[in-house]
Amino acid sequence: MASQQTAEPRAGSALRRAVDGQAGEWFGLVVRIALALVWGWAGLAKISDPAEAAQAVRAYEILPESLVKPVGYGLPFLELALALLLLIGLGVRIDAVISAVLLLTFIAGISSAWARGISIDCGCFGGGGAVDSSKTEYLQEILRDCGFLLLAAWLIFRPRTKFSADAWLAA
Amino acid sequence: MSEKNREGKRTARERMQQERAAEEARAKRNKKMIIIGVVVAVIAVATAVGVVVQNQRSKPETPVSAPAGAIGDKNLVIPAGPANAPSVLTVYEDPRCPACGSFERQFSPTVDQLEDQGKVYLNYHIVSFIDRSLGGKGSKYGANALACAQDAGKFRDYHDVLYKNQPDETADSFGSTTTLINLAKQVPGLVTPTFEACVKDNKYGGWVSAVQQDFDKSSFKSTPTILLNGTPVYPKKGEEQISPENLVKWVDEANQGKPLGTTGAASASPAPTSTAAETNTPPSP
Repeated sequence: MASQQTAEPRAGSALRRAVDGQAGEWFGLVVRIALALVWGWAGLAKISDPAEAAQAVRAYEILPESLVKPVGYGLPFLELALALLLLIGLGVRIDAVISAVLLLTFIAGISSAWARGISIDCGCFGGGGAVDSSKTEYLQEILRDCGFLLLAAWLIFRPRTKFSADAWLAA
Repeated sequence: MSEKNREGKRTARERMQQERAAEEARAKRNKKMIIIGVVVAVIAVATAVGVVVQNQRSKPETPVSAPAGAIGDKNLVIPAGPANAPSVLTVYEDPRCPACGSFERQFSPTVDQLEDQGKVYLNYHIVSFIDRSLGGKGSKYGANALACAQDAGKFRDYHDVLYKNQPDETADSFGSTTTLINLAKQVPGLVTPTFEACVKDNKYGGWVSAVQQDFDKSSFKSTPTILLNGTPVYPKKGEEQISPENLVKWVDEANQGKPLGTTGAASASPAPTSTAAETNTPPSP
């Protein structure tokens, strides 16, 4: 999935210069902020109603009841912490790795719900829980997460971005 | 000699350069490890803090206060009709749920009749999950207002009024306490300062949340969920489609040979003993 980025340096030296040089760092800044906004939005949407967040987790019917609340309560704060770290650009590569792991987990969870034939809303940006079988949007939810995964992948392979705490610390 | 000297100087310089390079590489690696440590720590602390904070913010599953006469082990259920009726009809409804609205419009007269004849004891679970998917507060405020009406001993009448005046699912008019109080004027004697304060202050918000959390943990996923003596009868009982006639038939079949319940006033929900805005501790069932 992320091999596009790794293949790019072979695709002509002009492109490589662009990706590795200033332009790449500017683009990286855009990607970093975009991913930060995704996590910020996802986290804030899950915070207002703890019972709703817990129910969104419970609806997947994967975790035991004892873990439903800790995950439902903790996940939005994990997402907000990632948003904050990406926003200031501290440890961009490790942030992106954690983001990718989280997104892969979400994709696996949604796929599993789809495969088991249960009808739920992913609860990705608030909401969640059982929905009418005509209202499931598994494919859209998975594709959306794959899009976010591409952002994370870019930052794993090109973690150097403009205006980042990383750059400031390295100077 | 001078050759050797130069040679020696160069190797010394090279060694120094190598050492300095190694030193720099080590410093760089350490910096990286520190940053990774900080990132992991920030995420771990944020998540742990989040669990604690949300635990404190979440409303308890056992409500602190419940409307008068609520039954069940956590006082989450609003009863209507004679408690000694031979059959129990359990109803899970959300004030905003359109399918509940059409169920009520079709079945309300039949259900009221069964209740008044002493054939069924109604157990209402007023859930509030539509606010989650569509946003708004209509389910929660509507459920709270129904709890306030239960306090005033007029649950059934207000329940019927709300479903008769139910807005579109996407319109959140029950999210306005003014609307809820205006609709209550259709029930004679319901609107009192106590009732108004109860609706406006969302007095039973914690109870409403507890009722919903109980529904979350149940195996039921949608509303209306209608159970006759524990058996689902909506939209079908086995192979038979529900209809007002069939519902009466099923109840009569279940009641065969059993004495009917005591019939009294149309609204058998107990009136509260005091109108003071204090915490009601309903009697245990």
